[in-house]
Amino acid sequence: MKIKEKLLGTAVGVMLAAAPAFAQEVQLFHDKGFWSEQLQSVGDAAAETTGVTITETPYANAEQYKAFVQASIASGETPDMFTWWTGATFAELVSSGQIAPLDDLWDEMINSGGYGEASKELFVVDGQTYAVPLLLARWVVLYNKPLYAELGLEEPKTWDELMSNADAIVAAGETPFLATVHEGWRGFIWFQELMLRMHPEAYNGLNDGSVAYDGQEVRAVFEAWSDMYAKGYFSDPRSTEEFNDYVRGAGAMYLIGEWAAGLVVQAGVPADDLGVFIMPNAIDDAPAAVIVEGSPLVVSVDGAQDENVMKALRFWVSDEGANAWGDATGNYIGNNSAEAPNAIVAEVNADIAETSATAYLRWWEAVPPDLQGELVAEMNRFMLDPTMKTADDVMATMQTLNAAYWADQ
Amino acid sequence: MDRAAKDKALLDRIGIDQIARNARARRRGQLGLALVFMSPALILVVGVLLVPVLFNIWLSFTKWKKFTGFGEYAGFANYERMPGNPFFNEALINTAIWVGASVVFPIALGLGMAMFFRNLRGAETFKNIIFIPRILAPTAVGVLWFYVYAPDGLLNRGLGLVSGRDVDIGWLYSDATVTPAIIATFVWQTAGLVMVLLLLGLAAIPKDPIEAAHIDGANRWQIFRYITLPLLMPTLLMVTILSVLAGFTVFDLLWVMGANYPGQRSLALAVFMYFEAFQKGSWAFGSAVAVIIGLVVLCVTWVQTVLQGRVDRMTR
Amino acid sequence: MAFDISTLDLDAIERREAAKHKGSTLKLFAAIGFALLWIVPFYFLAISIFKSSNEYSRNPPLALPEGIAPLWDNVTRAWELGSMGQAMMNSAFYGTVGASLAVFFAAMAAFAITRLDIPFRNGWFMLIFAGTVFPFQMYLIPLFFGYQKLGLLNSHMGMLLFYTAICVPFPTLVLRNFMSGLSREMDEAARMDGANEFTVFFRIILPNTIGPMTAVFLLQFTWIWNDMLFSTVLGNRLETRSIMNALLVFQGSYSSIGPNIVLTAALLASLPSIVLFFLLRRHFMQGLQVQQS
Repeated sequence: MKIKEKLLGTAVGVMLAAAPAFAQEVQLFHDKGFWSEQLQSVGDAAAETTGVTITETPYANAEQYKAFVQASIASGETPDMFTWWTGATFAELVSSGQIAPLDDLWDEMINSGGYGEASKELFVVDGQTYAVPLLLARWVVLYNKPLYAELGLEEPKTWDELMSNADAIVAAGETPFLATVHEGWRGFIWFQELMLRMHPEAYNGLNDGSVAYDGQEVRAVFEAWSDMYAKGYFSDPRSTEEFNDYVRGAGAMYLIGEWAAGLVVQAGVPADDLGVFIMPNAIDDAPAAVIVEGSPLVVSVDGAQDENVMKALRFWVSDEGANAWGDATGNYIGNNSAEAPNAIVAEVNADIAETSATAYLRWWEAVPPDLQGELVAEMNRFMLDPTMKTADDVMATMQTLNAAYWADQ
Repeated sequence: MDRAAKDKALLDRIGIDQIARNARARRRGQLGLALVFMSPALILVVGVLLVPVLFNIWLSFTKWKKFTGFGEYAGFANYERMPGNPFFNEALINTAIWVGASVVFPIALGLGMAMFFRNLRGAETFKNIIFIPRILAPTAVGVLWFYVYAPDGLLNRGLGLVSGRDVDIGWLYSDATVTPAIIATFVWQTAGLVMVLLLLGLAAIPKDPIEAAHIDGANRWQIFRYITLPLLMPTLLMVTILSVLAGFTVFDLLWVMGANYPGQRSLALAVFMYFEAFQKGSWAFGSAVAVIIGLVVLCVTWVQTVLQGRVDRMTR
Repeated sequence: MAFDISTLDLDAIERREAAKHKGSTLKLFAAIGFALLWIVPFYFLAISIFKSSNEYSRNPPLALPEGIAPLWDNVTRAWELGSMGQAMMNSAFYGTVGASLAVFFAAMAAFAITRLDIPFRNGWFMLIFAGTVFPFQMYLIPLFFGYQKLGLLNSHMGMLLFYTAICVPFPTLVLRNFMSGLSREMDEAARMDGANEFTVFFRIILPNTIGPMTAVFLLQFTWIWNDMLFSTVLGNRLETRSIMNALLVFQGSYSSIGPNIVLTAALLASLPSIVLFFLLRRHFMQGLQVQQS
């Protein structure tokens, strides 16, 4: 018996010792199928530099992906390395106790000079940092430079300038803004932006229950939005080809995350024709602000014990890693000692440095996850029939759901 | 000795109990063998299908949500939450519409086509054409019709040609049209099967009573109403039940064609259940909705059994 | 019987005949019109796959394509973006192996139920057939978590296991009905000659059941090929996802994909079942007949 146990122990020991020699591969689970090849190219770059390959493992559908991660955690088999979302759903993920804090790594990152404290803030829960950025994207307006030049327009610095540009574009027979309900998640884009530009003081309150979805601030937003639709500012919300639409000129300005710049160029827009500005505020002397989307890359408690996983993670945040990712997609991860992935990101960096804009979390991440899908569906409903009658109904439904949620907490 | 005496002697010698014992032993032997034959099917069905169903029922009485493991007992809490959920109520109404529509349209159209094509020249070709949509996967059919109904799609352009002005209806985007539009696709896909099944039923009806009625001067409507229809009843019933179950549990079409409709979660109970479980992580609540769907299906099956018995007695 | 032809009103007969003929011609035209209406969506599909994205958005949906050149580009883009090759292999594997195993297991069970002398004959059958009673929604959550627990989630084996199980009950019903109609003389004779039950099953019953087994195999194969729900929930990863799941990808991640490519993908995904149907139409129709019983 003793001997057997000893033998077994030795065998296990040998296997454990041998394991790192074979397992030079770390799986990265994600739901961003459209970046499959690009992620893999970073993974291959990791293999060259560190000897650890990052193998990307995509899920085709975000719902299934979330369910997969939830189920894995519930059964105690958390994936070593995977992507998630910031905000309330991030706090929820961390509360499972399965996610490793990465404060030490962040100390290294900040000391190296590449990263700022501000990007770390997105991933802090109860004083500890639990992720590194897969992506940091500021939400900006991409615009059609040749059309702007043709009509003699300037990048707007104020809300009034933005509106007068839009009028000029309508007068020229074009459509100023591109916005669709495609894939069901896009409805919040204009809602959050109008909210931030018109009522920055109420922006965060929406997501802790202190501001009602049928209150006067939200009503003002819907009135402005409905008015813009009435003036013909928006493209057909029913289109299923947003990027192609931009290429075809269906909208002169495209309010979206920076990451779209790479995709639009891929779809056929010459990079030089693409301009960018941060949406101006609608009220005077409000401080400069920008909406930020942070996509976290987390490791499990077990994963953090595996030196290969940590090697892979270190590579990801390193300058080489950021450059490889930036080259492949034009995505920015907040590493300022790496090269800016493209001109758009460089310009946004410069703008933000100049105005010292405050970062606001994207509505999508900030809203309680239980409300996310149902509320955004209501906003989509408004976009499909942008009248105040629908808006009233939409606001009432949103507030009913919101109130019920907070009453439960 | 005659036969009866011989048998009696045999019985006396072995004893009736022994014979019964032997028979039982043989059956036991055969049962062991039968279990060997049945075990793959039994293990698969019980392990992969029936145990999960029980598990699902148990889950529906717990509080399980999100990242937490299996939750504690919650009684009927998940069921009590349903009536207060506006999306559940809408889904319920839409599901009822689906059930009604899947009884009326495929059957009416299928029966009409069966009667129409029955004695037509080249009926085979027509039958094949009408049947083809049925071979395609609902997912592929959904993708095809998604573009038929698109704002600049086939249907709007066709209506534009007919009416002479621009038609710009978002069939799959507005509350009023989305369910009827998807039902139309469903009918397009399933009416062919209904027709073929009814044609098989029609072919099995004996010719004699119809000829006799003809000679007696019955007109075609009377023959249909009083002879064909009653004889077709068993087939019709079977087809109706198949259609109701298909309409009640329709998912793929709604998933694909309703993808951009803001109220997708309330298009039917099956979709609502998927959203609650897989989008919101309300696993226990989702299980409860699944149990409700299961109960309705069981009721439909039970009604079928009862009606089937009644029809069988009537036609005998 | 004498027949005086002069008493007949030949004109009236001619009119009646003409009317009858006209009626059936009218009926034929009506049928043709109806059938055309029915296949317009197929026509739309057939021409769309020959259009480039640009052409699709520029020209009316029913306009004939300007050339056939874009087809190849559409096919390759759909094929690559959806990783359809992998998905087709997966579905072909699930469909052929899953349906074959299921039909074979069903035949074994049906043999035991109809040919062996066992107690609770009907009870055993109802237990297996109970697998068709519940709606799919009741399997989803438990299977998802059960699979995750057992490490079967996103594995070929897990998918095969489920597809085999779900395809057992219906063939069991069909084959039970068929086998109880088979004459018992042959297998009794074989048993007299000392054959055991396995020999009876493999040498006598199976060869006589090939027809209905093929029919139910085709039905189950098509079901697996067409399934979207379970492959979404149980096998959503690239390596294991089914062809219908690959088709769904076009609805999601790519908003720069034109309808021409999505429709091409839909056709590609459907081709195998269409081809199978036309090659084996007789068996399909037989399958429908057994469905009825």
